[in-house]
Amino acid sequence: MVETAWRPIPTFANRGRFLIRLEEVTLRYGEGPPVLRRVSCHLEPGSFHYLLGASGAGKSSLLKLLYLAQTPSQGRLSLFGRDVAQLTRRDRALLRRRIGVVFQDFRLIAHLSAFENVALPLRIAGEPDARIRSQVRELMDWVGLREALDALPPTLSGGQQQRVAIARAVIGRPSLLLADEPTGNVDDRIAMRLLYLFRELNRTGTTVMLATHNESLAARMPQPCLRLAEGQVREEPTEVAPPAAETVGG
Amino acid sequence: MRIGFLFSRGEVPLTRDVSARFLPWLIAFMVYLAGLALLAAVAMDRMAARWQGDLEGRLTVQVPPPSDPGDETARQERLDRVVQVLLDTAAVSQVEVLSRAQTATLLEPWLGEAAAAPELPVPDLVAVTLRSATAALEDLPERLATAVPGAAIDDHQRWLARLFALAGSIEALALLVVALVGIAAVATVIFVTRTGLAIHRQVIELLHVMGARDLYVAEQFQAHALRLGLAGGIGGAVAAAVTVLGISWLLRGEQSVVLPGVAFGWAQWSMLAILPLVTGLVAMLTARWTVLRTLAKLP
Repeated sequence: MVETAWRPIPTFANRGRFLIRLEEVTLRYGEGPPVLRRVSCHLEPGSFHYLLGASGAGKSSLLKLLYLAQTPSQGRLSLFGRDVAQLTRRDRALLRRRIGVVFQDFRLIAHLSAFENVALPLRIAGEPDARIRSQVRELMDWVGLREALDALPPTLSGGQQQRVAIARAVIGRPSLLLADEPTGNVDDRIAMRLLYLFRELNRTGTTVMLATHNESLAARMPQPCLRLAEGQVREEPTEVAPPAAETVGG
Repeated sequence: MRIGFLFSRGEVPLTRDVSARFLPWLIAFMVYLAGLALLAAVAMDRMAARWQGDLEGRLTVQVPPPSDPGDETARQERLDRVVQVLLDTAAVSQVEVLSRAQTATLLEPWLGEAAAAPELPVPDLVAVTLRSATAALEDLPERLATAVPGAAIDDHQRWLARLFALAGSIEALALLVVALVGIAAVATVIFVTRTGLAIHRQVIELLHVMGARDLYVAEQFQAHALRLGLAGGIGGAVAAAVTVLGISWLLRGEQSVVLPGVAFGWAQWSMLAILPLVTGLVAMLTARWTVLRTLAKLP
């Protein structure tokens, strides 16, 4: 990855307060059984957490709550010190701009170039074109995709698409970065590089929550964990120990 | 309202939607129908106005023929009595006795050449022009009936009333057609917009997650709908204009009693020219309303 001057702006606006706070939060889809049951936890600004759990444990559902794609069926969710249930529609949109999301399936818009995909959050925020151009170019340099600015996503490799998705997630300098299985579609070597990238972002002040079922990978860069099982969260402040039977490719 | 959205490239690839490709054609067809309805309304309005103008301040006195239709002396004597009564009336400014030939010409469309047969008991007609459209006739009907039993006045009001009722009905029908066309256009735009929302749900949800406000998405749909509405509206209006000009050309010089003139005046051409703008705006506002209403259901 090419080193450049681009760095996320440290975000310490909420220092001393919980960035994320869930109180007895339950989530169910329609009339179905609860996916999350009376979940309570909190994250401090600037923290880095893995969200661990088997497939179907509810990791994606918890992330959806955090990036405001779902609302709790019960309980209270606070982000950046604000109860999301009390937010106006406009405030919710503004709050979402402070959250970067990396999806497992990237969700790049196929008919837009890599440049346009990365520029999206800035366009939505109404940034001027000149600023968008310079920031996107700088960030694309940083993730090593300077040559792929005009490429359409389907023409990029999985790893390149993943980096475009990450660039898009961080271009708006979010206070909170949520990543849903970001290493799920790349090999372990690239996965480790992505973890280092997330850690670098975290060191500049961005709060990171990274959902993965790959505990062995997480163990190679130990961080506090939230473990989801049977719809409930257990906090594991200690580092993850690598399972004895698993090995991580390089 | 900002208009920058009209020129910006959207993230939602609406131009690729198959359903949207038919929208301009549908709108063009609807605008064409609305144009034809307008044409019908104008034609009826013209016809009613022309008849009203022609008959205002005029009467026709019908003088029944003598018992022997061939007795010209008796016929002339009866006509003279009627004319004298009319000339003695203050409200009457002009009296014209229609000749047998003129009466036969009037009846020819219904009776053919037989209308000129002298043995046919056709009443004589006296065209009367009044000093004003509202002149009081006082006891003229009674005096005419005294002079020539059976002589009667036709002030054309009954006929005109029927004509106005017909014209009013056709104009109302035309308005109804325009309203139905408008409703159909709105329903079509709603359908196309909802289809677009369903097709591009993933992109829209992505924009939503990134913090796009509902208006940001709605602007993309409304700009697309405006372009389609304008394109369809212009196509339909041009087709309607060609039809109007064609019919006007076919009826050129035709001053038939029955067929009205359909040539548009500046008011009608203005209405036809405004139709594409109206359809474009209606399509735009409908798309905007549909998108905002749908997105309001997202968290």
